Amino acid sequence: MVQLINNSRDKLKQAVALATINLKSFPHRAIASSVSILSIGCVAAVILSVLAMTQGMVKTLERTGLDDTLIVMRAGAVSELQSVMFPAEVNILANNAQVLKNSDNQALVSAEMFVNAEMLHIDKSGAKHIEKLALRGINKNTYNFRPNFNIIAGEKFKTGLRQVIIGQAIARKIPELTVGSTITLGGARWLISGIFTDNNSVFESELWADIGMVQSDYKRGNTLQSVRLALKANTDIAALNQAWQDDPRLNVRIMVEKQFFADQAENLTRLIRWIGFPVAFIMALGAMIAALNTMYATIASRSKEIATHKAIGFSAFAISFSILTEALLIAVLGALLGILPLYFIFDGWTASTQDANNLSQMMFNFELSMGLMTQTLLFSITIGLLGGILPAIKAMRLPVTVALRDN
Amino acid sequence: MQTDNQNKIAIELKQINKSYQKGSNNVVVHDNFNLSIAEGEFVALMGPSGLGKSTLLHLIGGLDLPTSGSVIIGAQRIDTLSEGKLSTWRAENIGFVFQSHHLLPVLTAQGNVELPLLLTPLDNKQRKQHASLALRLVGMEERAKHLPKELSGGQEQRVAIARAIVSDPKIILCDEPTGNLDRKTADEILSLLTTLNKDYGKTIVMVTHDLRASEYASRVINLEQYIDAGKQSQLSAVEG
Repeated sequence: MVQLINNSRDKLKQAVALATINLKSFPHRAIASSVSILSIGCVAAVILSVLAMTQGMVKTLERTGLDDTLIVMRAGAVSELQSVMFPAEVNILANNAQVLKNSDNQALVSAEMFVNAEMLHIDKSGAKHIEKLALRGINKNTYNFRPNFNIIAGEKFKTGLRQVIIGQAIARKIPELTVGSTITLGGARWLISGIFTDNNSVFESELWADIGMVQSDYKRGNTLQSVRLALKANTDIAALNQAWQDDPRLNVRIMVEKQFFADQAENLTRLIRWIGFPVAFIMALGAMIAALNTMYATIASRSKEIATHKAIGFSAFAISFSILTEALLIAVLGALLGILPLYFIFDGWTASTQDANNLSQMMFNFELSMGLMTQTLLFSITIGLLGGILPAIKAMRLPVTVALRDN
Repeated sequence: MQTDNQNKIAIELKQINKSYQKGSNNVVVHDNFNLSIAEGEFVALMGPSGLGKSTLLHLIGGLDLPTSGSVIIGAQRIDTLSEGKLSTWRAENIGFVFQSHHLLPVLTAQGNVELPLLLTPLDNKQRKQHASLALRLVGMEERAKHLPKELSGGQEQRVAIARAIVSDPKIILCDEPTGNLDRKTADEILSLLTTLNKDYGKTIVMVTHDLRASEYASRVINLEQYIDAGKQSQLSAVEG
């Protein structure tokens, strides 16, 4: 047993020594290896982008919604945009005994209007820009459902006026939108009265205004789109749902608000993964072939050297190990080439995407966490090693007598 | 040809058949070939290209295996060893010198000579000491820090010889060691090999086309004569 351990240790020592020597000559082959490094770098960048985008979106959506709040929409609607509700329905919902009441004995209810609005703004150079943004009509009760809401500049909008507060994500993306500036929504001029934060939730990608003004400007009458209800602790949501489903005056769908946004996150990330990962997979295949090709070329150019090592007495394991080490180095260099620029340029960068459900922009932060970068590095290493295995086997089997011929 | 029976046999090839497939043809390189070399001999293998001189060298060095027959080095039959064991055996018993030195361009002369010592239990300091000694033996101590590209052809070959002897193998196999060198440098290298043979007792087998080179050997084996004569059991040997 001791002998076996000693032998294994000696073999590993040989392999490491040979790999170290091999890597010393790597700079001479760096240009030839650059295609592989670049290919793996591109794959790493794409993979990391997809992962970071997905994580950014998921985190944004996960930060949105409360566990003890119900969101109610029209039955069949999968998003607030698709839903239509009437004040009578809101009253029926609000009168349920399970709905919490405030100190004035009024139900804690937030009836909200949601519009996929075209916002026109003019930048410093005078150019006009149109952005599709979520405009949410709210009332004073709504703030009770946004415990993380905080005005960081200006003030809340005033009821009955064309004033709007904008989420921080919008303000970051469009720096021209400052407190006191005006924008055009639904053909009318609106004053930006404040900028708010909400724990980096999806609400920071929205404009909030008085629901009455939104209904009026967008000609929605007294309809609204979603209702949020605060429930008493330990409410049997299934029973409540059944009661409302059985009520002939209602035709609604209820969900816990937190779950509603989690489902949206799932839908969005599934879409990104379906598109992003197949692209990354195809690129990874290409990068693997490039690595394979490079390592074969390396072996061809170093055949005499490898044969000499064999003649001296280095084991096949040591020789294949040195080849795999070089493949590993190529993979790591490629991964760093893909990861580091992304990290330094895009970490924390605010990106936006069109919310498939609400057709408006959702902003999120590109989050290049250490975990994602490690995943990308490991993926790149896998590509490199897979590309190195066949050449390593070839090197191992290289016929010394043929390779050592001088002509 | 038989070696002196009083000498211990260093290398013995028994009934060696070696053939390989080239396309659909089976090319026979050696047919029932026998050879014995005693310890301390300096043997030159001569003959025109294609007669299998290098093949013999590779068989002796365990780089190639016979189609049939046995290769016995010292007391060890090596043609039945596994590849792993053969590598270890080679590292301990054989030093190779090639026509092209095959030095690693990124390592200094010292680094190249230390290379085989990576296969031994020696520590870094001991490796350096052994490599310095080998370089001193071949007269290259002062060029130890130089890269191969900074050395002349003769100097490179000296370093290659130092690499071959640094592990103190009993047998040195040389494949056209002077093939790329001018006459004067070739003579220096051959003198060095003679010294290793006579003063250090190394058994040397050298493949060469060069008649002058063969004059340094204690025995010359002309493969052409052997094959022409069709002798199966003995070689045409010319005492050097």
